[in-house]
Amino acid sequence: MKKIDFMLLRMIQNSKSQFIAILVIIVTGIVVFTSMNMTSINMRNTVDDYYEEKRFPHLFLQAEAFPAQQIERASLHPDVEQVMGRIHTDGRLITEDPNQRVNLQILSTNSSDPLSWPTLLEGHLLQNPKEVLVVEQFANARNIGPQDPLRIQINGVVYSMEVAGIIANPEHIYLVESAQSLLPDNENFGVLYVEHLFAQRVTGLAGNYNELLVSYQPDTDEDFLVDRLKEQFRPFGVTQVVTRETHLSNAVIDLELENLQLMANSVPILFLLVAGLILMMMLGRMVKRDRMKIGILKAIGYSNRAVLMHYVKYALVAGLLGGAVGSVLGMALAGAMTRLYLDFFHIPMLTMNFYYSYIFIAMLLSATICILSGLLGARGVMKIAPADAMGSEIPKGGKRIFLENWTHFWKQLSFSQKLAIKNLFRNKKRSLFVLAGVSLTFGMMTFTNSMTSVMDDMMVKHFTEFQTMGYNISLKQPVEKHDLYDLPHIIQVEEDEMEGRLEAPFTLTNGHREASAVIIGLDPNSRFIHLKDPGSLPQKVPAEGILLSQNMAQVLDVKTGDWVEIQHYLPGRENEMVQVAGQVKQTLGMNGYMDLDYMGALLFEKGLVNGVYLDSDDPLIQQKLIKASNISSVMSSKDSQAVYQEYMTMTYLSIAFMVLFSGVLGFAIVYNATMVNLSSRELEFSSLRVMGFTRKEIFQLILKENNILLGVGILLGIPVGRWFSYYSSEAFTTDIYHLDLSPSLHAYVLATIYTILFILLAQLATYRKIQKLDFLKALKSRES
Amino acid sequence: MAILSTRNLSKSYQMGEVEVKALVDTTFQVEEGEFVVILGPSGSGKSTLLNLIGGMDTPTRGQVFLRDEEITAYNERELTAYRRNKVGFVFQFYNIMANLTARENVELATEISQNPLDIDQVMEAVDLSQRQDHFPSQLSGGEQQRVSIARAVAKNPEILLCDEPTGALDYNTGISILSLLKRVNREMGKTLLVITHNGDIARIADRVIKMRSGQIIEDILEKSPLNVEDIKW
Repeated sequence: MKKIDFMLLRMIQNSKSQFIAILVIIVTGIVVFTSMNMTSINMRNTVDDYYEEKRFPHLFLQAEAFPAQQIERASLHPDVEQVMGRIHTDGRLITEDPNQRVNLQILSTNSSDPLSWPTLLEGHLLQNPKEVLVVEQFANARNIGPQDPLRIQINGVVYSMEVAGIIANPEHIYLVESAQSLLPDNENFGVLYVEHLFAQRVTGLAGNYNELLVSYQPDTDEDFLVDRLKEQFRPFGVTQVVTRETHLSNAVIDLELENLQLMANSVPILFLLVAGLILMMMLGRMVKRDRMKIGILKAIGYSNRAVLMHYVKYALVAGLLGGAVGSVLGMALAGAMTRLYLDFFHIPMLTMNFYYSYIFIAMLLSATICILSGLLGARGVMKIAPADAMGSEIPKGGKRIFLENWTHFWKQLSFSQKLAIKNLFRNKKRSLFVLAGVSLTFGMMTFTNSMTSVMDDMMVKHFTEFQTMGYNISLKQPVEKHDLYDLPHIIQVEEDEMEGRLEAPFTLTNGHREASAVIIGLDPNSRFIHLKDPGSLPQKVPAEGILLSQNMAQVLDVKTGDWVEIQHYLPGRENEMVQVAGQVKQTLGMNGYMDLDYMGALLFEKGLVNGVYLDSDDPLIQQKLIKASNISSVMSSKDSQAVYQEYMTMTYLSIAFMVLFSGVLGFAIVYNATMVNLSSRELEFSSLRVMGFTRKEIFQLILKENNILLGVGILLGIPVGRWFSYYSSEAFTTDIYHLDLSPSLHAYVLATIYTILFILLAQLATYRKIQKLDFLKALKSRES
Repeated sequence: MAILSTRNLSKSYQMGEVEVKALVDTTFQVEEGEFVVILGPSGSGKSTLLNLIGGMDTPTRGQVFLRDEEITAYNERELTAYRRNKVGFVFQFYNIMANLTARENVELATEISQNPLDIDQVMEAVDLSQRQDHFPSQLSGGEQQRVSIARAVAKNPEILLCDEPTGALDYNTGISILSLLKRVNREMGKTLLVITHNGDIARIADRVIKMRSGQIIEDILEKSPLNVEDIKW
């Protein structure tokens, strides 16, 4: 090894605490980069393989009834690969607790089906009409196993069945009842598979199916095929077409993987840039400190390039070491993370590969950023002339700072405050760096903490402000509005505590843009649904026209006053044009809202309702309604909220992780900047010590400087936080939910507290260094 | 033929609005194998002269020749090669690397030179064989200066430039360093240029060039220089 490289190693050894601090940042960034990228690839591959192997359909068409003999006609399309029909209906599980309502999605299956194959986890496949297959999540939550008896109610009739087996299916990787549910409630919602014939019989659809599953050839024009199929099956009343993209389970997985990819590519860059900036600052200081050494090296005959490379190698070692350690740890973590995801999503197979190229990419990425930082930080080497370096450095010319011109303000400051401010202006680059660090930390903290209020918005406000009914009851068949007055005979409910509504899925189009969503018909003076415009002002459904949720308006690219076409699914009914009357601020789901009578008249028949919102204190409401024949489902807001509360624990955990993550960045930036500050002013502080300053007083001087930066940094961090929130709102908003991450006052307060805490910790860590500094030795040294 | 010569060498610095003439039209020659002392008070321009001769600085005007090569015409790369192979420096404050051992400090220089001497022999010659694995902080001032001399000599340069080599040392240590330099000159045949403000040291030189205010005021050829042991200050 060359002697100049020996010097490098000892240089690293002498600055090991700062070197380790930089390494930690690089390693963290690379761990996130490697683990998340590999998890993302492995997950994507696993999901793709799972879909392929288990024949996950590309399209799901729902209708009142498709005659079985018509199904095969779909396969006449050259693009269609496989097609099958099945029954898709709702039901409920009869449990020992009469008040418990457990909703079921019942699907029909057969071992010879060409699509949507189940993976048998326990037991056996269906052998007789009395058997059911149970989806794993539901079976686990309710402790259901093979051969267990199950009583299920379909269309008011209770059937005694036996569990044949427990299965997994690509359709139910993420098991939720509807987009509005958002979170799985595995104990109260499950999916069962029964034989086709049994399903046809119990739904009164003998010889028919009500769902068509289609897979198509690669490179198929999906929109074109959907249009053709809709046209072909129009006589049978196609109510809804679900593509893979809009399939709830797949959409959630896609979103999750996209977020993972987004994090994988943005977070590490942030970490590496911070590490690069710290390296730049450190090397800049080293070059200044080593002025004499550089002069000697040049005097001995080392070229500018050789000396510059000596310092760049310092950065390179950090980059390579950080890249190597980070990518190895990242790969180890990727395995665990992928398994965690697979467990969470109940995917019964794993396509796992170690992409060793990521070690190379990670090292290249971190080495490149570190080399650039090294070159920028140590470029001062080039300017040092050996002859000048031998003498003492000419002191920088002092000048007044602009604040001194504001005489009134300046006079108000104490001497030590003036000194601290002047010192900040003495090294503007370093001050700017710390400012940027504090602002970044505060911005990230703000964004992170605003997530709590967003989750609160989504999970709680949705049920306390947006919809305030106790129960949302769906009917199997629409009824006249006045028929609802029979309900008080069944359950304890006042007439003024219930309100009829219409709800039906439609496809809305604007030119080539299209969105499938549930349109809800409401009483204009609804006491249960509280619509707000995008400016958060209350609004009512207009007598005519439609209100669209913001995300839906965005998908359709329409504004108030535009017209959209509602495609009618009922046979013989024409499509309807309707004017957009405004937009609705809504966090969960994508919907359209109309006046109840207007919607009835336009799309069904005037005066009809197919559901009811109500408030009731009746403790036996579930039990009583279960027995009612025209009730399709009863959703309790309280139950849904309880499920959300459970998931909030997970959210708080991830928020705590993010706070820690942002704090480490802030800590590293302030710690390193203060260390460089200390080392560059060793001679100055030594003089102060000789003059009689205590170590504590010197620490307070640095503290004062940092606190000014902390204050200003937090102020500057407000727009940074807002920008992060705005960017994340845009990135995370999907068809399923609309996120408005605008930070609340609460988020700002928490962000301030956390930022101060982490910055204070960093300063305390430097206090230890001040205690250890040998000031008198520094005074004797010719270098400072 | 002279190993080193300067012709009308001048160097000016701009200090704010004032121009400081550090060296004015300096012309002299050094013969191969000579022990030359450049003597002058502080601010007389002797360090500036040494820096220009050593290729560490560029003149405002004039030329420096090493044999018939004009080093003042060299570009940055050529100057680096010149410092690497042709000259060796010894500084007043030793300027050795704190994080390298005595031997490593010497190796730092030999690794990049074209025709280095055997390091063991050099360490033996400067009487540091027993201390070669010590770090500078474990060495006395005299020992550190020996390391500095070893580092300069081990490159096997044509000329050795010493800037106040005894300036930071006590008398006895200074004498031992001068003896060492004299041996390097006599036994190794190296040409030595030593700058000092100490007139007594000048008495051991073959030639003494006296300077004042950036100019040579006297160039004296000593016919019988004293032995190092015979001088006192």
